[in-house]
Amino acid sequence: MAARWRAVTRPIYLYFRLLGQQMKAIMAYEADFVIYAGSAVLVQLVGFIFIWTIFQRIPTINGWTMWEVVMMYALIFLTEGVGSLFFEGTWGLARLVYTGKFDSFLLRPVSPILQVVTADVGLNGLGNIVTGFILIGLSVTHVSLEWTPGRIAMLAIAIVSASAIRVAINLGTAATVFWTRSPWSSVPMFVHQLGDFAKYPLTIYSLGVQVIIVIAIPFAFVSFFPTAVVFGESPWSLPGLLTPLVAIYTVVLAVVIFRVGLRRYEGAGN
Amino acid sequence: MPLIQAEGLTKTFRQADKDAGLKGSVKHLFIRRYKNKVAVDNIDLSIEAGESIAYLGPNGAGKSTTIKMLTGILVPTAGRLHVDGLVPHEHRQRNARNIGVVFGQRTQLWWDIPVIESFNLARDMYEIPEATYRANLAEFTEMLGLDEFVKLPAARISLGQRMRADLCMALLHNPKILYLDEPTIGLDIAVKDRIRTFVRRLVDERGTTVMLTTHDLGDIEDICERIVIIDQGRIIHDGDLGKLKDTFARDRVIHFQIARGAELLPALLPSVRAALPDSTVEAGDDGSLSVRFDRFVFAAGEIAAAVMSRAEVEDFRIDEPAVEDLIKRVYLGQLTLADRPGSKAAPAPEPAAEAAAR
Amino acid sequence: MVVAGSHKYVSLARASLEVILTYRLSFLMNVIGTVFYVIAMFYLWRTIFGGNSAALGGFTWLEMKGYLLVAFLMNSLLTWYDEFMIGRGIREGEVASDLVRPLDFQTSRFAQAVGPVPTELATALLVAMAVAFAFGGVALPPDPVYAAVFVVSAALATLIKFGLIFCVAMGAFWTTGLYGLTTGRIAVQGVFSGALIPLAFFPDWLRAISAVLPFQGTVSTPALIYLGKVDGTAMLAMVAVQAAWAVGLIVLGRLIFRRAVRAVTIHGG
Repeated sequence: MAARWRAVTRPIYLYFRLLGQQMKAIMAYEADFVIYAGSAVLVQLVGFIFIWTIFQRIPTINGWTMWEVVMMYALIFLTEGVGSLFFEGTWGLARLVYTGKFDSFLLRPVSPILQVVTADVGLNGLGNIVTGFILIGLSVTHVSLEWTPGRIAMLAIAIVSASAIRVAINLGTAATVFWTRSPWSSVPMFVHQLGDFAKYPLTIYSLGVQVIIVIAIPFAFVSFFPTAVVFGESPWSLPGLLTPLVAIYTVVLAVVIFRVGLRRYEGAGN
Repeated sequence: MPLIQAEGLTKTFRQADKDAGLKGSVKHLFIRRYKNKVAVDNIDLSIEAGESIAYLGPNGAGKSTTIKMLTGILVPTAGRLHVDGLVPHEHRQRNARNIGVVFGQRTQLWWDIPVIESFNLARDMYEIPEATYRANLAEFTEMLGLDEFVKLPAARISLGQRMRADLCMALLHNPKILYLDEPTIGLDIAVKDRIRTFVRRLVDERGTTVMLTTHDLGDIEDICERIVIIDQGRIIHDGDLGKLKDTFARDRVIHFQIARGAELLPALLPSVRAALPDSTVEAGDDGSLSVRFDRFVFAAGEIAAAVMSRAEVEDFRIDEPAVEDLIKRVYLGQLTLADRPGSKAAPAPEPAAEAAAR
Repeated sequence: MVVAGSHKYVSLARASLEVILTYRLSFLMNVIGTVFYVIAMFYLWRTIFGGNSAALGGFTWLEMKGYLLVAFLMNSLLTWYDEFMIGRGIREGEVASDLVRPLDFQTSRFAQAVGPVPTELATALLVAMAVAFAFGGVALPPDPVYAAVFVVSAALATLIKFGLIFCVAMGAFWTTGLYGLTTGRIAVQGVFSGALIPLAFFPDWLRAISAVLPFQGTVSTPALIYLGKVDGTAMLAMVAVQAAWAVGLIVLGRLIFRRAVRAVTIHGG
């Protein structure tokens, strides 16, 4: 019983231990920290200016008001920030495998996934998270809705699920390096760009695009559906309720892809 | 029960068989041809706890492939493998607790944080009890002289310091087996010495099993008792280092500096040659005389006596057999060693000195 | 001076192109990745225009598509990779070796940046044409004159962009990584160049700010010329402004570089 408890707490403890150490190392470059975080804030600000400018001319996009679009937009960036701050190491997987440093991970009695995600910290993530929260906060106050505890809980779950989906997509696509053996993270970067579609309402796209970002790479569940369900926009709020399930599904899928890839790597060698 | 037991261990890689260049790559997209490369071919290896083994072979012989299978990061194609009762690749993380690995070419330290922090992380990852951690850290710090740089980040220390730190980190959790991959490459002689002494003490005092792959034969001389040679995936020798030298590296050379050598040598040579049959007597340009002899046929003293009774010797030195030469000759195929431990070649005769003493 | 010694820069350019082509697949993925953004924009603006033929901000839907694609083309020439390349050159001591060789640092980096441009342009054009076809065609220059001036303007835009990139890359002398500065540049450039949204959509005060900044010369000016939205003296004035900024930024870059080198050689390292 105690052993099973430890099996859960130990990885959590090690995660924070390793991540914390990495953060300490990165923070040593103080000036850069301000620049990195600041640039992330700038990027979101620019996007906000874009949305705001458009909505000066038109009242809605496909029925979606400005603050709803801002919410979708902010979720994309906030979840990206979570990925950068807490799981940045995934972006370095290709390089780790290529240089052989990944083998060192395999030689330790610690989960390789855990070591990979804590291998790096992206301080721009802090800028993205803070700005993302600010924008979400703004959109929440500007939409005339009743903020019941239920709705607030839904928002919290939505943010957590969205972040999980984002991170899972990163991990799953990063694991393709076990098949492609490329020294660069081309596939994860490529898939990451699909997220640009999810900054705006799903309804503006043709069916083809919709299928891609709902079913193939579920970016729609990072921004669009959570927004729909929190703001009660039916009929889109209905699938929105599935968001936590989609989150669990993508995380499990990502871990499975990684494990299968790892087995392939151990069979084929480096 | 041996600590490491491999039977019929084999690893075959499937490699894409494609022509060079763009055309080849495109062709490969349509017609996929593969060829099999056997990196490790049906090897048997049995290592008891506390042994220190040198694992040698030319590049591409299958050394790192073997080590990868032993450490669990590569899955064998065939054969049986047990390390401390575990199948490494099936229980990779459990096996990891039993082993320490040091790579000469790559560090396992975290790059941007002080070395001591890396050690602390190792303590947490391996769940080393505090008392054990402190004791080991103190001992290794003293033996390896880590105090000078343990507060610096790995990025700012020299190669020799990094190797010493890596060695320490690999051993903090008291692993049963230590794998060393080219541990002294690129280091200066003082550091090499320190590391070799340290590893030897580990074997002697703690009974750690050591498996060393290296091209530096000084490492072997100082650390290992047993030498396993692999070539093209097969083990071509596996036996005691001392016995190996006695069997195959029996030559000694003594160089004598003769007074007025240039004048006297022409007359001296035939005389010495007559006295020492079955040896090679050569004259050097600088008036020196060298005698190459099989030490199981002649004692060094006999050679010295033969020369000194015929000339005035100003100085002399004895060249010991270099393991280096031996290994080189094996790699070059000039020398074939017994295939398996216990397989009989000519039994090593006792050194002539001892025989004469009886 | 430039003509006489130009062959060494040409070979630098060629070498840079070879490097890009070697990493064909990731280069391709890079381009395709950035086109997602353009496609999203197309869908967005299509929804905004709502099938109307009416103009928004002075643009018809057809013109808007043209604008977006010109913006895409301009954005694909010279990217963050060039900042990275210059920064790396600074960090890895190419500064020192260039000072020893008879090579000018800025010109060398320009040659390296410009080498891949024909390939970048060709790929971007192909992609742009595919997108245009998928979305039912885009506006073309109403007159060959505009097309010709557009080409000149595009070339100047590239020069301005290089000037900007080079100045920002000078940050490598003082920071350990250019990632933040580059992202910042791309963001600011995005707004004020008109890449994000035509400057006509901005409120007056924002438009006034853009007018005094160099960024509009990188996208807005060539795009407007392409669409024939400015003519005669106004057009020539805009081109002249582009040229002025190009020269100014390049000179500024050289000045910063010289100061940085002096500071570094005084302090060592």
